[in-house]
Amino acid sequence: MVGPLYIIAIALGTAFSLGFFKKANRNIPYAIMFLAIAFMTFISGQWLYAFLANQQEAIQIFTAGFQPPFSISLQMGLHEAVFVSMINGIGLLSALYLYEQFRDKGVQMMMVFILLFMGLNVIIMTRDIFNLFVFLEISTIAIIGLILLEKKEQAMSSGFKYLIASGIISGILLIGIIAIYYYNGTLFINDIISSNPLLLKGGSVAVFLTLMAIVLELKPFPVNGWALDVYESAHPGVGAILSAATGTAMLFVLYKITPFIADPWFNMIATIGIITFIGSNLLGIQQENAQRLLGYSSVGQLGLIMLVIGLSPYLGDNYLFIGFTLLISHFLAKAGLFWIAGIIKQKKIKNWSVLRKTPLLMVLFGIFILTLLGFPPFPSFFGKWELVMELSNNHQLAWIIAILAGSFLEAVYLFRWFGYALKKEIKETTSKIQFSKILPPFLFGITSLVAGYYTNIFQGDAYTINYLPLALVLIITLIDFISAKIKNSLAILAMAYYGFLTLPGLYENDFIRFIFMAIFIGGGILTLIAGYAYQGKRKGFYPAALLMFAGLGGIIEAQTTLQFFFAWEIMTFGSYLLIIRGKHSIKHGFSYILFSLGGAYLLLMAFGLMNAQVGMQISALSDINTHLNLIFSLLAIGFMTKMASLGLHIWLPGAHAEAESDVSPMVSAILLKAGVFGLLITILAMGAEYAQHSTLLYILGWIGALTALVGNLAASFQEDAKRLLAYSSIGQLGYILFAYAMATHLGWVGGFVYVINHFAFKAVLFLTIGAVVLRVGTHKMYEMGGLIKRMPLAFIAVLIGIITLSGVPPLSGFAGKWFFYHALISKGWYFQGAVVLFAGIIAFLYCFRLIQSIFLGQLKDNHRKVKEISIWFIIPIYTLIIGIMIFSARPHWILQPISEYIAPYFGRELTWNGSTAIAEMGYWNGEWIMYIIGVMFVLILGWLLYTNAKAQKVKQFNIVYSGERPFTPETTHIAHNMYAGYSKALGFIVEPYITKLWNNMSDAIVQLGGLTKRIYNGNGQTYAFYIIAYIVITFFLVF
Amino acid sequence: MENLSLEIVTLITGIALLLIGIWGLLTQKNLIKMVIGFALFDTGIHIIMVSIGYVKNRTAPILDQAVKTNQAAEKIVDPVPQALVLTAIVIGLGITALMLAFVLKMYQKKKSLEINNFNDLKW
Repeated sequence: MVGPLYIIAIALGTAFSLGFFKKANRNIPYAIMFLAIAFMTFISGQWLYAFLANQQEAIQIFTAGFQPPFSISLQMGLHEAVFVSMINGIGLLSALYLYEQFRDKGVQMMMVFILLFMGLNVIIMTRDIFNLFVFLEISTIAIIGLILLEKKEQAMSSGFKYLIASGIISGILLIGIIAIYYYNGTLFINDIISSNPLLLKGGSVAVFLTLMAIVLELKPFPVNGWALDVYESAHPGVGAILSAATGTAMLFVLYKITPFIADPWFNMIATIGIITFIGSNLLGIQQENAQRLLGYSSVGQLGLIMLVIGLSPYLGDNYLFIGFTLLISHFLAKAGLFWIAGIIKQKKIKNWSVLRKTPLLMVLFGIFILTLLGFPPFPSFFGKWELVMELSNNHQLAWIIAILAGSFLEAVYLFRWFGYALKKEIKETTSKIQFSKILPPFLFGITSLVAGYYTNIFQGDAYTINYLPLALVLIITLIDFISAKIKNSLAILAMAYYGFLTLPGLYENDFIRFIFMAIFIGGGILTLIAGYAYQGKRKGFYPAALLMFAGLGGIIEAQTTLQFFFAWEIMTFGSYLLIIRGKHSIKHGFSYILFSLGGAYLLLMAFGLMNAQVGMQISALSDINTHLNLIFSLLAIGFMTKMASLGLHIWLPGAHAEAESDVSPMVSAILLKAGVFGLLITILAMGAEYAQHSTLLYILGWIGALTALVGNLAASFQEDAKRLLAYSSIGQLGYILFAYAMATHLGWVGGFVYVINHFAFKAVLFLTIGAVVLRVGTHKMYEMGGLIKRMPLAFIAVLIGIITLSGVPPLSGFAGKWFFYHALISKGWYFQGAVVLFAGIIAFLYCFRLIQSIFLGQLKDNHRKVKEISIWFIIPIYTLIIGIMIFSARPHWILQPISEYIAPYFGRELTWNGSTAIAEMGYWNGEWIMYIIGVMFVLILGWLLYTNAKAQKVKQFNIVYSGERPFTPETTHIAHNMYAGYSKALGFIVEPYITKLWNNMSDAIVQLGGLTKRIYNGNGQTYAFYIIAYIVITFFLVF
Repeated sequence: MENLSLEIVTLITGIALLLIGIWGLLTQKNLIKMVIGFALFDTGIHIIMVSIGYVKNRTAPILDQAVKTNQAAEKIVDPVPQALVLTAIVIGLGITALMLAFVLKMYQKKKSLEINNFNDLKW
């Protein structure tokens, strides 16, 4: 095997020999340099391989055959091998990426470049602190040299600021090192560790100075202005090196010296880390410049890993796993993002929409953003998970909250950026992209995926994730270029296969999970059928949809909280992609993902608290015995963000209303049930004993009731048909929350009726209205009218949908009401019950409006020729209607097993006799109601038809307008502002107080960021002052 | 004055130079003066390093006629700081030179040596 010293030898030799090629064709020195760094990569790679294959013990090399302190010692062990491989790997790709710059600037830059990587290699391998200093300086000088690749004045001045700052820092480091030598008589790290310099008072100051210098090299907030300037002004290829390579090397140095720092100082490092993580992410929110934003994000990520190092006493055996997964994610993602920045050459993040011109770049961009944020299936997901679990096991809740808060802020700006890339108009087109520029980010993107997979494997059996659905998503992503019809068929096949794999088993073992899985898969297939109505390729739709369904399936299948959370995040991201596809959905998608993430972090916290007591099995949730209220509250609120309960609902109306016609039913009828499922397992875990006296459930009950009221009332005042349906969903989910909060047998059966109904009728309504919208080209109800003549099938579908919704017999909505009011009375929640009852009456208002405004009255002029809705919508709609009919006539097929399932938990209040449900206060037989109402319906219809034949039809222009033609005729129609009177009386209830509250909160955060960023005044001297002040203040805080 | 041994004097000199350097770096608005401040700061550190390795009444760690190899251990000061300081001086020189090169480039671009004129990038 080639010794590690050859890395240095080759780099140095190449750097010197390059000098001979100043006059030659620049391809020759470039080739030499490239070969050299490739060989360096090879050397580190073979060591890494040897260590991983367990063929090698760690070795120590002493230069010139002396013992320390008279020689320099290098170490090559597993850790060193991993890090030098990372460094040389990124070096190789950077060399490729910067090819043009090297050709342009000539041999000097190549020399500087290779010296930089030599420096970084030695920084990692050396065990001598003075040697560390020397090579740190070499790499600093080299990186500042690379800044000159960019000729702008800004790059010059930021380079100067960087020099001043690192000059001071290295001075401090030098003082620290010499003081350590003074007290210990050695520079060899191993000897320093064994002689423990902290025993002497002066020794601890020496270690402190060294530590501070290394921490400052990691650019802690707020002492990092110069680094941000360099990130902003340097060539993105250099930004990648600075962020990924230098940052990684410095973290390794910090890791290397931790054995000889004092225990209390770990807290100091952790504090510096968390301030950096939260502070820079806060400032990132206001940033519009892509490279500076990446700078803030880099600083933040390094802060996070510093935090992990600081918290290492709490993390036990998992410390290295957590630190490394977070580091590798930062390493891959940040380099990748900088590289992409260099390819598209857009300064403003708003202009990153040009990414859409190159789908590969867009996918890579998504991968890197998700990797940074710790989304599955990337390594950082598992790292963050373990971090939260370990901290929770050690009762460090405050740290968890701080970390999640910082992550949330990071998500704010990354998703804002991602949204811009997905949705903003494309202003300019990019020039041709070179292979040498796209290969590095491509390789890193692949590595990130692979690394995520192996991270999970590495964690062991308890963590097994089912990657099959994700593999299907990957396949459909790869064939995104083919026609939508084929992809649609494949997607349906994939869903059917997934259902075939899972449903029979669930039916046998767990009926409740079966119901939800059936809703997810059955609903998914039905809504996908509607996709046949679309022409063209529908790029990006199928990966997003399948991602969401994979997540939904995973939630049901999950045995452990990790699997659950994994699937939850997959589902969240998939649905975000679906929602943001709508024409005006950029801000709705944004608020959706933020609420979802906030909720997900609460879940994560709850899972952590649970893990500390009973482990990761979901079934163990019922065994927890302390922090019950806290855990259940966190879970409930987390799930309620997905259910859009009052207070957490503001994302829903826009997100659902602006979505595409077949997406609305997916995200409304199907997706919302994920939150319901989560809430359900939470309350099941509480058990009857706890549930009966739970204040939490009492509060949830009230929230449910008020959500129903506000949702229904708001729905009545909408002019937009899809918005009406969206608010109606909020109301319906309010009922469901209320029903489950009752935690009684009857309440839960009622809840299930509502779940199944809401799925069915909301899918019917959204599909039908969506299909109508596709035909008439408007969402506004007052711009429609009389469509019954053109679209009778759509009319019948909506009619049946609203009959089910409003709970009028004979359809299954009535069953819901029947169970509901029984449960209410037996539970004794009269006040809430009154609110719910009132909300139910209001539901009639908007139901009527759907029928009246859209289908009745006069046909609008421009709709005289519209056709019936597409057959591809009619098929799923009528399949669902048949389902509703069966469920209404034979409710016991589904409700009896559910009833039996629930009875053991909450005590039996209901028995079944055939299709008759018998409760204390009466009985109900869906089948007979069907027959009776059916007969009544036919009789009345017949009578109406008979009398109607005699009626005289009013012609459309048989009206008088005081001799004037109204300017906007539609708005004079009754359908416009239909419930103005009610609005006057009750409108105050639906004023957007909550929206304002959330807006004020987010404004406050943005303002805070705006104020804080003033510390970066751009003056190099001020930055130098910050460094000195930072050290002095920290010194007095520590000593 | 009797009590002031050589290492104390050099140590105090070093610290004084270091502080003067930092003062210059933080207060002088002229880029060249800032670089000089940095050079002083660096030199101060070097003197501190030398003073730390000093052992009373011993000579420089150079093996020649004055110091025979076999007596070296008793006659010379600690050689390690001496070696380190040489390296540190070289590095300091490199950094100072690079700083001056940047100052030159910055001056060529903006015709100014005021640090306050170079804060286009901020926030």
